[in-house]
Amino acid sequence: MSKEDVVTIVNDFLIDEFELEEEQLHPKARMKEDLDIESLDFVDIAVIIEKEFGLKVTSEQMVKIKKLEDLYNFILAHSQN
Amino acid sequence: MRYALVTGGSGGIGKAVCRKLAQMGFPVIIHYHKNEAIAREVKEEIETAGNHAELISFDVTDTQQVKTTLEAWKEKHENDYIAVLVNNAGISKDELMVWMEKENWRSVIDTNLNSFYNVTSGLLKDMITSKFGRIINMVSLSGQKGLPGQTNYAAAKAGVIGATKALAQEVGKKKVTVNAVAPGYIRTEMTQELDEKELKRLIPVNRFGTPEEVAETVGFLASDGASYITGEVIKINGGLYT
Repeated sequence: MSKEDVVTIVNDFLIDEFELEEEQLHPKARMKEDLDIESLDFVDIAVIIEKEFGLKVTSEQMVKIKKLEDLYNFILAHSQN
Repeated sequence: MRYALVTGGSGGIGKAVCRKLAQMGFPVIIHYHKNEAIAREVKEEIETAGNHAELISFDVTDTQQVKTTLEAWKEKHENDYIAVLVNNAGISKDELMVWMEKENWRSVIDTNLNSFYNVTSGLLKDMITSKFGRIINMVSLSGQKGLPGQTNYAAAKAGVIGATKALAQEVGKKKVTVNAVAPGYIRTEMTQELDEKELKRLIPVNRFGTPEEVAETVGFLASDGASYITGEVIKINGGLYT
């Protein structure tokens, strides 16, 4: 899966689930401070990652995701394995 | 479809809660551990009334068994989830603290408090991602006021009250509410050895309550109408303790 595909799927989900605007979804955007995505919101993100990319994510892996690009990179790194 | 799971569904209050939730239109999963015959009677009664009920059995103190059983239920119900959870299973082993063996302390804490973790934790994810959930914990007057001879039971129920308030704050944003219901003296197997004639003098309503009166409040908390109530402990004790 290309990086563009991952970005599209993730961004569409974030826009839909958390009522974010597309222009907010800069790769450097900080999950908590800029996007207001809190720890509990990662439950929704974990479920979509599992559904769309077939990846199981642990809470330890989730806490390392600080910026949106971390999330893209996590999915890319693990889906290539 | 949104299912309701009632742990201890074969007990006095549990049976009434199962009937109430079924009347409200929830397909009900009646949990039992040892009282299969009674659970089956409740199921048949609900089905006769034209509603849907299923049985499920596990030991609420066995973390792994609870997990495996609920995962197996989920596999068979791909498009359904447990939206309403009534943590009702419980036991009491009353004894003065001075005589209490560790086993009586441990088993009451296990069944009344650790069961809350065992059953609730695995069901939260579906409630969060579905943006609807109702968790209703059966606590007790004992967990609020403390009653002599019940240090174990009071400790467990007070623990569940604390967990209710904490979890309510964790998941409120996802439209999952967490509340507790605290019955006083209710006519069930648990109180059958108590002297109602003597004790009712202490109760402003002047009688023991009925399981149906407890079930009414559980039904309300499970309803859409209770969406802005969370982290609350509702007393159902006839005014005995306010």
